[in-house]
Amino acid sequence: MIKEFTKGILKENPIFIILLGLCPALAVSTQVVNALGMGAGVIFVLLGSNIFVSLLKDFIPEKVRIPSYIVIIASFVTIVDLAMQAYLPSLSKSLGVFVKLIVVNCIILGRAEAFASKNTLARSVLDALGMGIGFTLGLVLIALIREVFGAGTITIFPIGNFSGEIQIPGLYAAPARVIGLSAGALLVVGYLKGLFNWMEMRKKGGKA
Amino acid sequence: MKSIFAIGGKLAIICAVAAIILGFVNSVTEPKIELNRKLELERALASVAGNAEVGEETVVDAEGAVYSFFPVTGPDGSTSGYILRLVGLGYGGDMNILANYAPDGEVAAVVLMENQETPGLGKKAEKPDYMNKFIGTGGGTGDVPVRKDQLSQGEADAITGATVTFIGIAKALHTGSAFVKEKGGAAK
Repeated sequence: MIKEFTKGILKENPIFIILLGLCPALAVSTQVVNALGMGAGVIFVLLGSNIFVSLLKDFIPEKVRIPSYIVIIASFVTIVDLAMQAYLPSLSKSLGVFVKLIVVNCIILGRAEAFASKNTLARSVLDALGMGIGFTLGLVLIALIREVFGAGTITIFPIGNFSGEIQIPGLYAAPARVIGLSAGALLVVGYLKGLFNWMEMRKKGGKA
Repeated sequence: MKSIFAIGGKLAIICAVAAIILGFVNSVTEPKIELNRKLELERALASVAGNAEVGEETVVDAEGAVYSFFPVTGPDGSTSGYILRLVGLGYGGDMNILANYAPDGEVAAVVLMENQETPGLGKKAEKPDYMNKFIGTGGGTGDVPVRKDQLSQGEADAITGATVTFIGIAKALHTGSAFVKEKGGAAK
């Protein structure tokens, strides 16, 4: 059963292996703090929708299952969106429309349809946590590379006197700006996907 | 036929429950969101107005470049300028700008508020010294710089890589300056 949790983190990582939810991943991975915020939002929505889809799987009629899933997912996304606007306004601003777009993030509908609607509550919860954490880790990795090389900073939450922005000497003065732009997002994801494929091939090659 | 009602009914139940929950969440968060917006606007107003008194907001055009204006009154009670809420088109969509103008259309202070510009590039416009290149321009017959060649070499270099953001802000300030020139004449 623990496999349902761990598979999402590496073996079936939504970003690098099943390539789900790439659009928001590319768009919000400009700063580490955005990646963490988006990840937290996705984990919450994924957990909520997986729990309810799993609980209601016998109640929801087969013919209207997709509309039902969308209603459940959209409700959780709206809760996240309103809560962020109320309690984390600056994060809500930097994530912009991508919080609302969690509704159409294929990870969530994908897990509801492919997993939660066929599995027990406990398994669905583990699947949601694993996939959500896997998505967050992938997002943070992309954001870390893009922010360090593209802007020469690492932005996390401000704590006390610390503004939340770490400036990297050398890179801050002359960063490779293209990495921070949209084209850079595609480049970084492409290279990381290549790296994951290479690791996968090496693993298989080693066993054979 | 019966099954259609059964299916539709179940979907309706799910929707109804979702609507009730969301209604509740909205009633909790709405006052807080409204307060955040007001606080943000107040902070920005205070930063551009200096010591002057800011009057009531008048909405000009909810869709246009000049969203609304606040009259600014000096110590002697006369209108000493206008603060405009401007909307400029940046690289990442609309940028909300708050600018304080003298009655002759000269830019006195500017802040960039809500925006979706690229961090490290366009977002740099949020830094206070970014707006120095606009301050003091637009008065009388002078114009707000809207092209790179109207800036000094150093200023032009500083916006390299974020030209779209610069042009978006500059055009909005330019429109605002023209608006104030028209307005300023009428107020006197």
